[in-house]
Amino acid sequence: MTDIPVPGAPQPEEAQIYDRGYRTFEGERTGVPGAIRTLVVHSMRTALGLGRSAKHKVVPVLIILIAYIPAIIFIGLAALLPGEELEETLIPSFPEFYSGTIVAIYLFAGFVAPSLLCTDRRTGMLGVYLSSPLDRVTYLLGKAIAVFIVLLLVIFGPPLLLLIALTLEGSGPDSLGAWIETFGKIFLGSIVMGTFFAAIGLAVAAATDRIVVATATVLAIIPASAIAVGLLVDENDLSPSLRLLSLPTLPRELIFRIHGESDGPWSITANPTWTLWAGWGAWMIVAIGFIWFSYRRLLVRR
Amino acid sequence: MSLVTASGLVKRYGSYTALNGVDFEISGGITGLLGANGAGKTTVLGMIIGLHRADDGALRVLGQDPWSAGAAVRERLGYSPEHHTLPPDVKASDFVRHIAELHGMPKEEANTRSSDALWLVGLGEERFRPMGTMSTGQRQRVKLAQAIAHDPQLILLDEPTDGLDPVQRDAMLELIKNVSTEFGIDVILSSHLLDEVEAICDGVVIIGEGVTLASGALDELRGTGATAVVMDIDGGDPEVEAVRAALANRGMVVSVLGRRLTVEGDDEAVFDVARDACVDAGVGISRLSRRRLSLEDVFLERLG
Repeated sequence: MTDIPVPGAPQPEEAQIYDRGYRTFEGERTGVPGAIRTLVVHSMRTALGLGRSAKHKVVPVLIILIAYIPAIIFIGLAALLPGEELEETLIPSFPEFYSGTIVAIYLFAGFVAPSLLCTDRRTGMLGVYLSSPLDRVTYLLGKAIAVFIVLLLVIFGPPLLLLIALTLEGSGPDSLGAWIETFGKIFLGSIVMGTFFAAIGLAVAAATDRIVVATATVLAIIPASAIAVGLLVDENDLSPSLRLLSLPTLPRELIFRIHGESDGPWSITANPTWTLWAGWGAWMIVAIGFIWFSYRRLLVRR
Repeated sequence: MSLVTASGLVKRYGSYTALNGVDFEISGGITGLLGANGAGKTTVLGMIIGLHRADDGALRVLGQDPWSAGAAVRERLGYSPEHHTLPPDVKASDFVRHIAELHGMPKEEANTRSSDALWLVGLGEERFRPMGTMSTGQRQRVKLAQAIAHDPQLILLDEPTDGLDPVQRDAMLELIKNVSTEFGIDVILSSHLLDEVEAICDGVVIIGEGVTLASGALDELRGTGATAVVMDIDGGDPEVEAVRAALANRGMVVSVLGRRLTVEGDDEAVFDVARDACVDAGVGISRLSRRRLSLEDVFLERLG
């Protein structure tokens, strides 16, 4: 509150605020875009435990550490190893690099979306949000953006760090054009994987109010889908198209294809790249459709 | 100007009809939304906020349809929910600022106003405490602060005294009154407690079994059905008896409680008869007025 100097009033060090009053607001409001923006920022802070006690920071900090440790190790190897050949042998390509960070990505997918969606429904905060300029669509959009950005911390951050470090160390792409191309592929791959796991996490979180149940479900269905697909396709010789149902490997295989590499987790070419994009799109449509269906029929009392 | 106007409002959930032709008009000041559990208060509040769409009828909030113009309407509304489960690890100031930003306050403005709002509700010194460490009374104040921080035109308070002890309750009611009279923010107070509505509200909407039982200015409602004149007289039992006898001689039906006589009938002639009876008995009058119904009387009468 502003202190207005008054002639004859006490000196500043003696001044006291004795009436803060209530002020009307005549300025321009930020509207729905502003509401989405603040929801995104607030949700990201919640997911990362910022502005909260230390115990809320433990899980996100640990997961982020797990995600960045491989990049730090490879950067160290690149700096210490003498020859280019040895570097090329030991340091993985960018698509291969995800093998070291995928656990962190799964963990974040399992923790972030449930903590942001389930809590609001369970505590009634959803009603508070929907009494603001947000509606169900813009609320879900804000939450989805927040989950996606937080996931990018562990999907896009580590390979970007590796790219920058290798570039500075002299082992990166040869030219500016190659560097931009590599950056673009890493970015596109991160968007593919980030949107995919954000959608899966949010869809599961839309089905229950309980964070623990949602987290456990996300962490269970990701490997379970891979195991089931492995049994069906590899052991029972069913159609390779069933691989599109494998949650962990579909986006990783797509990243290999984005980088033009053919030795991805499926190690086969039975699935043309367009079918992978179609599979990714189908998963996204199903997940988003389920989220919308869940929230559309959700009766928000107050 | 009417803040909220409902006409023929119908809302069904499957085969259950929550509202079955509700009509009311809410003007400025503090309006109590009254009704027993399951009466339809929750549904009405939800429709004002724009959470539910009417199956039939029309609803205007601040001159607009809250369903089709939801964001524009909600930007100018404040809402304090009934539940107490605010995020426990979030500081009160962060929470209030966040809600203010959601309602369109620029960041710096939201920051200042959240602090101001918490001071205004008496939580200035506590504003940096996590809400999970606060008492029920303090959390109720935080909810009020977040409802007013963004300078709304109208706030909806859902059971704002729930869980408060009598002292805290009176203080909260005083705060709500200040919000309306000093800050110029109109209030809709949803409650099932008649006495608190009666204590601070200017108007009331009573809903029962999905229909409007009564609505209007509180004074008018309490005046409606006033079928007697109340008279307090100066003096002791002999004077009281003298006036009673004089009234009875004039054919009036009188009941006595202490020094108060209640004379049945509410037309102007009853006042004249009462005055003349006191003159005949040589007794002074300290009060002569129509009998005022309490809100409870109105509520019970309308419930049938």
